[in-house]
Amino acid sequence: MAAVTGALLTSISPENALAQMSQDRAIAASRAVVLAYVETQDARQDEISRAGLLGLSQALFQRTSIEPAPPMGLSLARDELSFFPFLYWPITLGQQALSSEELSKLNRYLKGGGMILFDTRDGDIARVGQTTKEGRVLQQLASGLNLPPLAPIAPDHVLTRSFYLLQDFPGRYPRGGIWVEAPQNSGVQVEGMPFRNLNDGVTPVVIGGNDWAAAWAVDEAGEPLLPVGRGMAGERQREIALRFGVNLIMHVLTGNYKSDQVHVPELLKRLGE
Amino acid sequence: MRLDALLFDPLLPLWLMVALALAVLGALALAAFRRLAGWPYRGFAVICVFLALLNPSLKTEERQAEADIVLVVVDRSSSQRLSDREAQTEAALAHVTAQLADRPGTEMRLVEVADAAGPGGSEVMTALVQALSETARDRIAGAIVISDGQIHDTEFAPNLPAPLHLLLTGRSRDWDRRLLVKNAPGFAILGEPITLTLLVEDQGAAPQAALADIILSVDGGPEQRYQIPVNREVEVDVSLGHGGMNILQFSTPDMSGELTDRNNAAVVQINALRDRLRVLLVSGVPHPGERTWRNLLKSDSNVDLVHFTILRPPEKQDGVPVTELSLIAFPTRELFLEKIGEFDLIVFDRYKRRGLLPAEYFESIANYVRQGGAVLVAAGPDYAGVNSLYRSPLGAILPGRPTSRVFEEPILPQVTEFGLKHPVSESLESLAPDTGWGRWLRQIEVEATSGQVLMTGRGDSPLLVVDRVGKGRVALLTSDHAWLWDRGYEGGGPQAELLRRVAHWSMKEPDLEEEALLAEPSESGLQVTRRSLTEGPLAPLEVVTPNGERFTVALQPMAPGRYRAEIVSEDLGLYRLSSGDLQIVAALGPAAPREFVQTIATDRVMAPILAKTNGGALAVSEGLPKFRNVRSGRPAHGRGWIGLVSREAYVVQGVEIGQFLPAWVYLIFAALGLLIGWLREGRWDK
Repeated sequence: MAAVTGALLTSISPENALAQMSQDRAIAASRAVVLAYVETQDARQDEISRAGLLGLSQALFQRTSIEPAPPMGLSLARDELSFFPFLYWPITLGQQALSSEELSKLNRYLKGGGMILFDTRDGDIARVGQTTKEGRVLQQLASGLNLPPLAPIAPDHVLTRSFYLLQDFPGRYPRGGIWVEAPQNSGVQVEGMPFRNLNDGVTPVVIGGNDWAAAWAVDEAGEPLLPVGRGMAGERQREIALRFGVNLIMHVLTGNYKSDQVHVPELLKRLGE
Repeated sequence: MRLDALLFDPLLPLWLMVALALAVLGALALAAFRRLAGWPYRGFAVICVFLALLNPSLKTEERQAEADIVLVVVDRSSSQRLSDREAQTEAALAHVTAQLADRPGTEMRLVEVADAAGPGGSEVMTALVQALSETARDRIAGAIVISDGQIHDTEFAPNLPAPLHLLLTGRSRDWDRRLLVKNAPGFAILGEPITLTLLVEDQGAAPQAALADIILSVDGGPEQRYQIPVNREVEVDVSLGHGGMNILQFSTPDMSGELTDRNNAAVVQINALRDRLRVLLVSGVPHPGERTWRNLLKSDSNVDLVHFTILRPPEKQDGVPVTELSLIAFPTRELFLEKIGEFDLIVFDRYKRRGLLPAEYFESIANYVRQGGAVLVAAGPDYAGVNSLYRSPLGAILPGRPTSRVFEEPILPQVTEFGLKHPVSESLESLAPDTGWGRWLRQIEVEATSGQVLMTGRGDSPLLVVDRVGKGRVALLTSDHAWLWDRGYEGGGPQAELLRRVAHWSMKEPDLEEEALLAEPSESGLQVTRRSLTEGPLAPLEVVTPNGERFTVALQPMAPGRYRAEIVSEDLGLYRLSSGDLQIVAALGPAAPREFVQTIATDRVMAPILAKTNGGALAVSEGLPKFRNVRSGRPAHGRGWIGLVSREAYVVQGVEIGQFLPAWVYLIFAALGLLIGWLREGRWDK
């Protein structure tokens, strides 16, 4: 109501309208958890990203206490990133090089505790000495970002137990691994490397190629949009893909909460003394 | 005065003289050998010529005798003002002045020594060295120190060419009781007893006493009395009452007859650290702000965080077997009923009643607060709803009643006028980025039912309300959007500092107390800071100095809620400060300054220095000494007398050098010698 009055009171110029729009978006984005994807040049991919995040949001809504609002597509140049805990970024061949403003915006976002899931959607077929085209695009993209050293995910990473117990992270492709921030010696503060200590150990990027959005995607009725695998095994793969999504969002929102739970019994024991 | 001396000043170089002398001796010897009749006369002539060449001169000095100097050093330090020492000192000084005036050719140089700056004490030797450096050493006939003998710079004793004497003030029946606290640590863990060693020491001719009273006062609070044996170290276990600086003041009453009560008290300042701060963070729902809470609490290495997030509410089931889930049932009963008292702070972050925690748990939390606990509620939109925490038994202690309205619009947080004074929110605005604080996008409207509103958001709607409940504290933040500051939306704001202060204020961190009186030593005395939330003029600062002097100082407003006063004083020791109900004890320098550590007059400290110069110590109380002259290096003191060395120093005012004999005298004698020799060798005799 206040927003409407505000719009009426000020003269309706394109600029004001734009500011008003971005304000409305800001309020919508901060009202609840909103999963966001980076818009690409490819309209179909954007549609899959939106449907994928919608599917993940639904799963979160049904299964956990996180009750997200509908997902949003973001343009790096236009939108404020700070509201979004999580960005899904499918890599397409049409990906433009990032401007320096966009890069500094992204770096600020990562430093402030955001997380980006880079999805090359190539089934991680790249092997030693080879890369896919999408892989090269991602390399180019990431070269300007302020990223910590990455490593394949460790079997005891908090992502494997932030809600479900997981060891695989399938999307539409079943087997590709994921890369996260390399583990550091806990407690050792590394100069100029703020991620681990500032952001509760949340990895700023997750990189993989399993085309997760396709596996998560649902239509307006909430039914799966795209086929995954075959028969029961395919359904299982879709379920695990969703569980990975749930774990990822839990990790991004609760940080190392699950790792700390290990110490709680010890803490409680000490409390009595 | 004149003095003459004969000098030789040869006209030819020495080697030429020697060569000439040898040649002439050789010629004379040859002459004697050849029996030359006139050789003695010719020899006489040659000697006359040699004498002329040696040029004997007469030096005449004009001398003036100089007066002997006696250095008199009077110790005017604080310990010299005890008992009747001041009168003794005056009497001794008058006597010395008179005696030296009577001694012929004697000059007195008087040096007075006050308390050294800082903790130095009586620096008598330093003063003596200073005076010596301004005096010709060969005129010093002696030095006399009038003191109680308790000097603190014996290592600087000068090498005196004359006797050094001590006229000792004080009396043999002097005694003093002092209190010492040893092994006081600067830091201690809260709740763990610390062991201090107390010693009540009777010095001098003390009456025989077995027990002494000890009064302990913590932070200027009520006095507790104990008795401990005298002259024996006693170990005392003390438990500190609160975190932060604890000021323990020990004292023993002033005994009648003792020299001073300035060493009867000792102040020990111990910074009590909480072992660990235990914080229970209860997140109702995972949301973007949750990690800002975790980051805040986990970045503090002193905090043990027990975090409790509801990942899945009981009504949501997805049929996934438990073995594939990583969910842990939280020991809620243990946390909220059995061990709740162990926590220093409970934070509810967007919590809503979900039927997980029964009402009795909230009742338990409310009681925990009333008994001294702390609760911080960061309200999300659920606070406005039917499942609001306010509608649980916890609502009874929460300071804001939700109106059910939630503003979802840009809101600029603002510190209220009252908040500017409050330690939680004061100077927070200086931590804004250049463009000012970023805005938040949600606020839950509440009516403040009690407590103090420190910040407002939309209109005057309270954003941060703090309150005291029973012995405990409650804070209510009516928005869950503090994380927008952390993320830098519109430039962000001091989210971490704000939440840290709220959390630490809740845990009664002494630095964030609203009403506080603090004093710290400054260059010119004590700087006193008073924090207060009261409106209008404050009660003035009442000061009791170590001397017992009382006065009041006006507290000058410095910033909202902050007042300051400066006590200009150089007196070391304990200051008792009070303003209104607050009172503290502050120590400027040591509680018992060096001057009052050892107060019994003694010659023992200076004895080795006196002995080196053959000087002696005489008690003023046993009569004032006569002065005698002694020779340098001889014993210079005895019963009733002290010796000074007569130095007979002089200065030369002029020198005259004249010929011993005029040149023509040598000529006549030489010519006479030659003439007689010639005559003898001639036919004079024939």
